[in-house]
Amino acid sequence: MSSIDSLAQEFGRLPGIGTKTSARLVYHLLKGPKVDLHRLATALSDVADRVRPCRVCGSYSDDEVCGVCRDPSRNAKVICVVEEAYEVGAIDRSGMYRGVFHVLGGRLSPLDGVGPEKLNIDGLMSRVGAEEAGAQEAGAEEVILATNASVEGEATAVYVENLLRPFPLRITRLARGIPMGSDLEYVDGTTIAEALAGRREMARP
Amino acid sequence: MVLRELELRHFRNLGVQELRFPPEGVAVVGDNAQGKSNLLEAIYYLESFRSFRGAGDGQLGAFSEDVFHLRAAVSGERPATVSAGFDRKLRKKKVTVDGNDASRIADALGRLGAVAFSPADAGLVSGGPGRRRRFLDVVLSLNRPGYVKALQEYRRALVQRNAALRAGSGRAAVRAWEGPLVTQGGAVAVLRQEWVAAWADAFAAYYRAVSGNGAAAMEYRPNLGVGADPADDASDPPPEAARESFRRKLDDGWDDDVRRGSTGAGPHRDELRITVESGGRRVPVRTYGSGGQRRTAALALRLVEAATIRRQRAAEPILLLDDAFAELDPGRSERVMSLMEEEGRGQVILTVPKESDVRLRSMSLARWRIRAGAIEA
Ligand SMILES: [Zn+2]
Repeated sequence: MSSIDSLAQEFGRLPGIGTKTSARLVYHLLKGPKVDLHRLATALSDVADRVRPCRVCGSYSDDEVCGVCRDPSRNAKVICVVEEAYEVGAIDRSGMYRGVFHVLGGRLSPLDGVGPEKLNIDGLMSRVGAEEAGAQEAGAEEVILATNASVEGEATAVYVENLLRPFPLRITRLARGIPMGSDLEYVDGTTIAEALAGRREMARP
Repeated sequence: MVLRELELRHFRNLGVQELRFPPEGVAVVGDNAQGKSNLLEAIYYLESFRSFRGAGDGQLGAFSEDVFHLRAAVSGERPATVSAGFDRKLRKKKVTVDGNDASRIADALGRLGAVAFSPADAGLVSGGPGRRRRFLDVVLSLNRPGYVKALQEYRRALVQRNAALRAGSGRAAVRAWEGPLVTQGGAVAVLRQEWVAAWADAFAAYYRAVSGNGAAAMEYRPNLGVGADPADDASDPPPEAARESFRRKLDDGWDDDVRRGSTGAGPHRDELRITVESGGRRVPVRTYGSGGQRRTAALALRLVEAATIRRQRAAEPILLLDDAFAELDPGRSERVMSLMEEEGRGQVILTVPKESDVRLRSMSLARWRIRAGAIEA
C-alpha cells in the first residue's frame, strides 16, 4: 500500500470520517508546507509516547500525576466521578468546580461486555478509603457522581454509590438540568454549572 | 387533522407521485394487490414512523431503490409538514417536522392524528398478549407525553439487566439496573393502567353499538401491583405502589432470574384482557370468541384509539380504513360506519375493492382509482 493510502486509511478509522473526507485530509496536508506535516507527526508521536493515565484520577496527562491532581489550590476532598476523560474538560470549563476528578473509563453496559471489573472503580475506592497507604488526599468528604443521565450512566452511579455507602461521605448526583441521554461533552458550561450547584444527595435505596 | 398533500417516492409499489387530498377524504377503489394498503401504510408511516402492517423499514422501499421518502402536509389544529426517509443500505432513518430534523423520532410522533383500521386487526384480539401490549404502546406513545421515553428506558434497563444476569457478575452488578428498571417500568405500568381505566366504558359501549347488543370488556392485568384504581383515593399513589411491587417481585424472583438469565417480572408481562359475554359468562374473546366477536372487539379497540386522539390531542382524527369492514356482516359494517359519522366529521381515507363497497357518508367521497400503484385522482 502506498504511504498516501495508508495515511488515508488511518484517518478513515477516526470517528465521523468517511473515505472521501480522509482522502481530502491527506491531499490537504500534502499541499501545505512540509514543516506542517512534520509538526503534526511530532505532535502525534508525543501523544503516543508521553500521554498516560494519571496515577491518581485516571485522566490523561503528560506526567505521572496530572495537573489537576497536583494543583494545591484545588479541594482534594471533593471528587467528581465522570465516565470519560474528555468530560473532565467539559466540567472544568464551566469554571464552577474547584475539586478533583476521577475517571471511570466508561460506564456499565453488560450488553457490550462492560462489567464493573472493566471500570476504574478500585482506584476510586482506594482514594476514598482512608487506610490506603500513600493516598495523600485520603478521607474524601464528598463524591459527586457525574455519570451521564442515560440508563447506563444511571446504573453506573447506583453501582458506585452502593460501594461508597459504608464510608462517611456525602454522595451527590448531578442535578437533572442536564437532558436525559445527553453526553456531558455536548452540554454548555452554564448548564453544567447549574447542575453542579443543584446537585443533590442520592436517595438511600 | 386533515391530510392535504402527500408526496411518495419509492415507497412499496407507489413510485413517485404527488397527491392532493380533499378535506372530507377520499375513497380509493382498486383490485387487490394494486397498492391500496400501501397507500394507507405510507400515510400511517408519517404518524408512527413504523409500518402498521408490522413490516421492517427495510421492506418498505421499492425493490430497485435503496431509499424511500415520504412527505405529508397536514392542516387543522396543529398544521405541520412531516417527512420521513429511509436508506436501506445505510440503515438510516431521517425524520423532519417543518423542515427541521427531529433529533429523536419521539418528538415527531403523532403529527397526523391518524388511526388505521385493517382486516388484520382481528389479530389484535386473537393473537398473544404481545400484540395487545404493542397496541397499548403505540396508542400511549402517540398520545401520552413521556410514555415513549419511559418505555425506551425501561426496555434498555431490561436488556442490560438480563445481560448482567447472564454475565454472572453478581448481585450488586445486577441490582444497579434495578433503579432505572423500577422507575421507568413503574411509570409504564401506571400510564397503561390509567388509559385502560379511562376507556374501559367506552370500549364496552363501542362493542355494544357495533355488535348490535353484545357485551364485552377490556381490563388491564398488570404483572405488577399497580395499586388501587386511580379514580379511587388510593392509600398508595400508583407510581410508588408499582415501584414497590416491582422491587419486591425482583427480590422474590432472584433465583429464577439467575437460572433463566432473564427478568421474570415487569410490564413486559402485562396483559390487556378482553372478554365477551357468552351464555351469561365472561370468557376471554381470544380463546372462546367467534370470528365476528373478535373482529368487533378489534374494531372497538380502534374506535377507542380514535376517541383517545380526539380527547388527548383535541383534534379530529384522520380515519384510514383499509377495506376494514370486508369481513363484517352487512349489519355490523353499517352500524360501524354510522357510529363513525356520529362520533366526528373528520377526514376519512378508505380503500375498497369495488365501487359497490362504498357505503353511507363515504358515498359522497371523491373516488380515486389505483392500478399497479398508480393513483388516478
Ligand atoms: Zn489526576
